[in-house]
Amino acid sequence: MEATRQKYGRVILHVDCNSFFASCEIARDPSLKDRAVVVAGDPKERKGVVLAANYIAKQRFGIYTTMPLWEAKKRCPHLVILKPDFHLYRDISEKVFQFLKTFTPVLEPASIDEGYLDITDCYSGGSPLGIAEQIQKGLLKTLHIPVSIGIAPNKFLAKMASDMKKPLGITVLRKRDVPKILWPLPVQQMHGVGEKTAKKLNDIGIFTIGELAKAEKVILQNLLGVNGVRLKERANGVDPRPVDPEEGRKWKYIGNSTTLSRNVTEERVLLEVLRALAQSVSQRMKQKRVVSSTIQIMIRYSNFQTITRSKTWENPVQEAEEIFQRAVYLLKRHWNGNPIRLLGITAVDVFDKKEAVKQLDLFHFEEDAKKEALWNTIERLQQKFGDGIIQKGVELFRRQKR
Amino acid sequence: MKITIDREALVQSVQDVMKAVSSRTTIPILTGIKITATSQGVTLTGSDSDISIESFIPTEEEDKVLVEIAETGSIVLQARFFSEIVKKLPEKTIEIEVHPNFLTVIRSGKAEFNLNGLDAEEYPRLPQIEEENVFKIPTDLLKTIIRQTVFAVSTSETRPILTGVNWRIEDEELICTATDSHRLALRKAKIETENHQSHNVVIPGKSLNELSKILDDSNDPVNIVITANQILFKTKRLLFFSRLLDGNYPETSRLIPTDSKTDIIVNAKEFLQAIDRASLLAREGRNNVVKLTTLNDGIIEISSVSPEIGKVTEEIQSESIEGEELKISFSAKYMMDALKALDGTDIKISFTGAMRPFLLRPLHSDSMLQLILPVRTY
Repeated sequence: MEATRQKYGRVILHVDCNSFFASCEIARDPSLKDRAVVVAGDPKERKGVVLAANYIAKQRFGIYTTMPLWEAKKRCPHLVILKPDFHLYRDISEKVFQFLKTFTPVLEPASIDEGYLDITDCYSGGSPLGIAEQIQKGLLKTLHIPVSIGIAPNKFLAKMASDMKKPLGITVLRKRDVPKILWPLPVQQMHGVGEKTAKKLNDIGIFTIGELAKAEKVILQNLLGVNGVRLKERANGVDPRPVDPEEGRKWKYIGNSTTLSRNVTEERVLLEVLRALAQSVSQRMKQKRVVSSTIQIMIRYSNFQTITRSKTWENPVQEAEEIFQRAVYLLKRHWNGNPIRLLGITAVDVFDKKEAVKQLDLFHFEEDAKKEALWNTIERLQQKFGDGIIQKGVELFRRQKR
Repeated sequence: MKITIDREALVQSVQDVMKAVSSRTTIPILTGIKITATSQGVTLTGSDSDISIESFIPTEEEDKVLVEIAETGSIVLQARFFSEIVKKLPEKTIEIEVHPNFLTVIRSGKAEFNLNGLDAEEYPRLPQIEEENVFKIPTDLLKTIIRQTVFAVSTSETRPILTGVNWRIEDEELICTATDSHRLALRKAKIETENHQSHNVVIPGKSLNELSKILDDSNDPVNIVITANQILFKTKRLLFFSRLLDGNYPETSRLIPTDSKTDIIVNAKEFLQAIDRASLLAREGRNNVVKLTTLNDGIIEISSVSPEIGKVTEEIQSESIEGEELKISFSAKYMMDALKALDGTDIKISFTGAMRPFLLRPLHSDSMLQLILPVRTY
């Protein structure tokens, strides 16, 4: 057994909870089991939309997520409509992952209702199919949460596999099955291909996953950048990403640097360059919604001697102006006055903005205190409707642009 | 100079003046200890030019001979070596004799050290302070006042004035304030002054820390003299000089809230232990922050979440909660520092909102208050 597994490489499971929000509601109130159930924004509000629907609602009445509630009601007059309870969903999500952890510590939660497990080394647990069955039965029995599971040699194929049979499916997808099973599918069904990418691919005549797999690398690179190359690899069943329990928690950094068109000694010019770098670093941090307490600058002198200098401040930052100020502080301290060829700014050890705190200051707290009522309102909204319900207009705009 | 001196008395004095000696100094002679023998006794001096300490060993104390002066005079000896030597010498007495060219012989029993000394004339003069307008504080009270305020000074040089403790004396009252702009400690004490003096000075936190270390726990009075740029603390055997910080201390009294929206009365010791437990996980994480939530029936919930490590929740029964419901996050360290300064009594914590400073005070005294700025979570 051991030898066989090594020969065939890794064994990755993708566990995907079926209609998670609706399943949580039914787990709490089993009497709903045989009825059509949806979780929706605000049932009293006419503009509410369906956030999740159970399989009865989906299959018997054709209700789908994001359908306007009034339409769902028209299709199924005795529909059970529930308000979302994100506390419950988070709670059950944690329990699901705790259960999965009993099979292997190599578990990477991908979102509230799905995760990857690397069971390559779980010889004692039985065959991969056996382990998947144990997981599926276990979650259904103890938490009443139905899941679909994909079994494959990598994360991408596992994710595609779990999607094939719902609810309560277990699908094995081998690399050699890719041409037969994946290639005929339309390209937008591929994990990682959104509406916009699909449209771009369609525009150059790529409609199926198979066509993507055989497309010219250079053309994809020009069209979609590195992501294009990655998608082609995946369409061929190749995905080297490890299952990483630390994913999203690791030390990460975001940085930009610029080679100057000439050797520069004027501080004014250097500050201009730093300002532009701070802008782009800040923009990328905002896209990822991360902050950083440690700012580092890189200076390459005309003789190619290169130094990096960093400092950690008490409060994390994200705004361009704040990053700029900190970079200027470092430049003024560490620049020896020689001509500079390249400048860089890196935000070191970035982390999720939600983890950030700001120690208020006795002499300036009023600035934050003034906005307290606003923040309280936002917090109440998020508790009621989930974290995404309200955000700054600029953030939303930026996401739409992407 | 030639003296025979009691080893124990010398070790104690050397230890005291060593508190002021720094190995990193721009004035080389300050790495030494100055020893001066007069007919009354021996004076040791150490200084880093910010702090200067003088310790006096009288010839006799309570009928015990401490020093025999064979020949008066003075010398400067390398502090690092001299302090180690006197600690390790074998006998109860030590003989110190200065020969020409400042060569100094230190003998005890059969051990003999020859040290190259420096000319005492080169040693900087200590500030001359007229002992007028003296005021007195009992030693133990002075130590308590220092302990309850000095921890809150800033350790960062971004605003140098905040690295000191502000002492204001007015109408026979001493008001000590320290803040690093994230928390503030304030302690008041009644004192007796000559001619109703008033002062407003800032004493470096480091000086007060060192002073506190060399004061004993008696209630003997410490005499204090304040001049334009120096403060002198004087006990029976010690003189402690410190430079004062230049600049104006920020006006903090108007920043201390006078009203409150939520008041909690709780035992400081129990509360401290709960915060300590809650911060067990937090201090390993990215920031040492705990959250306080008021629940029904006078129950306070203390909780903390560190995404990578885990979370902790604890409920504490308070004496009372009055006013609005509250959720507030703050640094566990600042809270623990403040609670330790409050000495385990029943305290009242007054909040005016989650983004505003809150106050901790002893329930039955207005001699002290601790103020903490909360943290904003996103």
